[in-house]
Amino acid sequence: MTTGHELASTFLDGGGRSRRELMTPEGVPLTVDLADYGERAVAFVLDFVLCSAATALIYLLFILLPFGGTTGIVARSLVLFIAFVVRNFYFIHFELSWQGATPGKRMVGLRVVDRRGGPLVPSAVVARNLTREIEAFLPLGLLQSPMGSGGASWEELSLGLWLLLFAALPFVNRDRMRAGDLIAGTMVVALPRRVLLGDLVESAVRYSFTDKQLRAYGAFELQVLEELLRRPAGADTKRLLREVCEKICRRIEWSTPLPDAEIGGFLREFYTAERAFLEREQLFGKPHPDKHYPSNATGSGPPLG
Amino acid sequence: MSALPTAVVAHPKSVPASPALILRSSEFRRGREESWRELEALIGRAERRGVRALSAEELQRLPLLYRSTLSSLSVARSIALDRNLLLYLENLTLRSFLCVYGPRTSVLEGLLDFFRQGFPSAVRTVRWHFALALICLLVGVIAGFWLTLVDEAWFSALVPSALASGRGPSSTRTSLLDDEIFAPWPGPAQAFVAMSNVLFQHNTMVGILTFSLGVAAGVPTVLLLVYQGLGFGAFMALHYNRGLLGDFIGWVAIHGVTEFGAILLCGAAGLAIADRILFPGRYGRVESLALNGRMAAQVAIGAMLLFFGAGILEGGFRQLVASTPLRLLIGAATGLAWSLYFMRAGRGSPK
Repeated sequence: MTTGHELASTFLDGGGRSRRELMTPEGVPLTVDLADYGERAVAFVLDFVLCSAATALIYLLFILLPFGGTTGIVARSLVLFIAFVVRNFYFIHFELSWQGATPGKRMVGLRVVDRRGGPLVPSAVVARNLTREIEAFLPLGLLQSPMGSGGASWEELSLGLWLLLFAALPFVNRDRMRAGDLIAGTMVVALPRRVLLGDLVESAVRYSFTDKQLRAYGAFELQVLEELLRRPAGADTKRLLREVCEKICRRIEWSTPLPDAEIGGFLREFYTAERAFLEREQLFGKPHPDKHYPSNATGSGPPLG
Repeated sequence: MSALPTAVVAHPKSVPASPALILRSSEFRRGREESWRELEALIGRAERRGVRALSAEELQRLPLLYRSTLSSLSVARSIALDRNLLLYLENLTLRSFLCVYGPRTSVLEGLLDFFRQGFPSAVRTVRWHFALALICLLVGVIAGFWLTLVDEAWFSALVPSALASGRGPSSTRTSLLDDEIFAPWPGPAQAFVAMSNVLFQHNTMVGILTFSLGVAAGVPTVLLLVYQGLGFGAFMALHYNRGLLGDFIGWVAIHGVTEFGAILLCGAAGLAIADRILFPGRYGRVESLALNGRMAAQVAIGAMLLFFGAGILEGGFRQLVASTPLRLLIGAATGLAWSLYFMRAGRGSPK
């Protein structure tokens, strides 16, 4: 059965996130959000820029050293070689020492995790990164290799086809894995840092609600209300709160009129009472995922209170 | 419609549904929040500066705090409906899970361990695939040799012009000897940097393709291996017709043992992957690939490093050693060294 928490997450994130479950070795399932294609592309571009900068820097150092002729093919070879070493070292080093994040991934808030919930082992990191050579750098290498000139041969065409297949791979599997992830048994998840905000529970009690009134809503509506109450103050929020307050009053048949200044306090108290009620019900084994759940409220045992 | 709503002001006792309103979830949060915050601070530092930034006591605290927060999450899921709290705990446990179970090795340690243990033992696991790859290559060599021996026009069909670089049916014995087998050494910069690098790039690309196209059920891998063999066989026949086979083999042996070894390793790894895809066994294809893909990837990665060595040998040293017996000797020595390494290294020690 879907819980109210899941319903609220789907509703509030617009259903845009794909979620997977990881089972920790301790046996507690953790929900992870798969990274979007856009996020991964941005992270990759950031990393690529950093790698290129590092390559350029090292190349400059080489030029400054008295190291033979650095013209033509020698220079190009040197750059290609440095780039090859730098990017592989870069990705592998950071994913190992930053727990599955490179600088680009960290900026976007992505992590590489083991698909089965196990530890991320070094060989997996190495495998997923070296496979990148084929996916992203082979075409770049071929474009500038001496064999690349002289029209499109069947070899180049077939290579191009393979590269297209690799590039399309993340779009055709449900975990959005590229070939490296497939081989290494990893996936990339979005892991933005979340902060613990204050508890919205109101200790002062000025309004009180009956169980019948509180039964009107479920966990889903409660969490949407919570999200609303946590919005930064402003004219827009104020208008929304008033609308929601009117709707709630109509549903629970609250007749006493509320002045504008009272709306915030009233909603917070309603939230507190509703949460206390729903948490108690959940503890007694009667969860209310949303307002449609118990279609006949009297059907499940005697009403409380 | 029995109980009409009433606004009760400041008299909570009058309605039993909401007495002092003590929420279990709030009490629960009050009791645990301190340890969550402590864990969050530790994880934040470990994420920014690595696990090594933590002191010994903090490292001892980390798994304890992680497990207690994990149990907090379990409890919170069953008693709390505070969305922010649930999301926070979920996020915090996931972050600390990745930190607690994250990789502990640095690149250098990983590399060292890889050469002592991982690479040779991974090669030993794919030895049957290696044998199969060797057969594919030999089939190519024999076919290429036979075809070109009968009709040299096959040479240009089997060897791409960029690789042939002027050599072909029109080459004479002297031109092959002077421009190829005993060509002068072009000097350090040209030899070590440019030549080695071009060869390395070309070889690694061939190797990577051979390995990774194993994903396509191994058919491209087999084709690429046979194709490499065909080209080499054609070269052999070309030299054989001019009475240069011995010198040619010496010329190739100096780096070829390493290079063909690397291509065969890539082929073996690709075939191992194809094996998993064609015969996944008890697991699904994707799981089976993930379980065995790392082993195959280790083989392929090691092969890349072999290619690197081969590039240095070929570009840098081949033309320095201008004697066929000496070249054959070096080739045999490298072959012996590699076989000893793959058969003996890291055997018996615990994994």
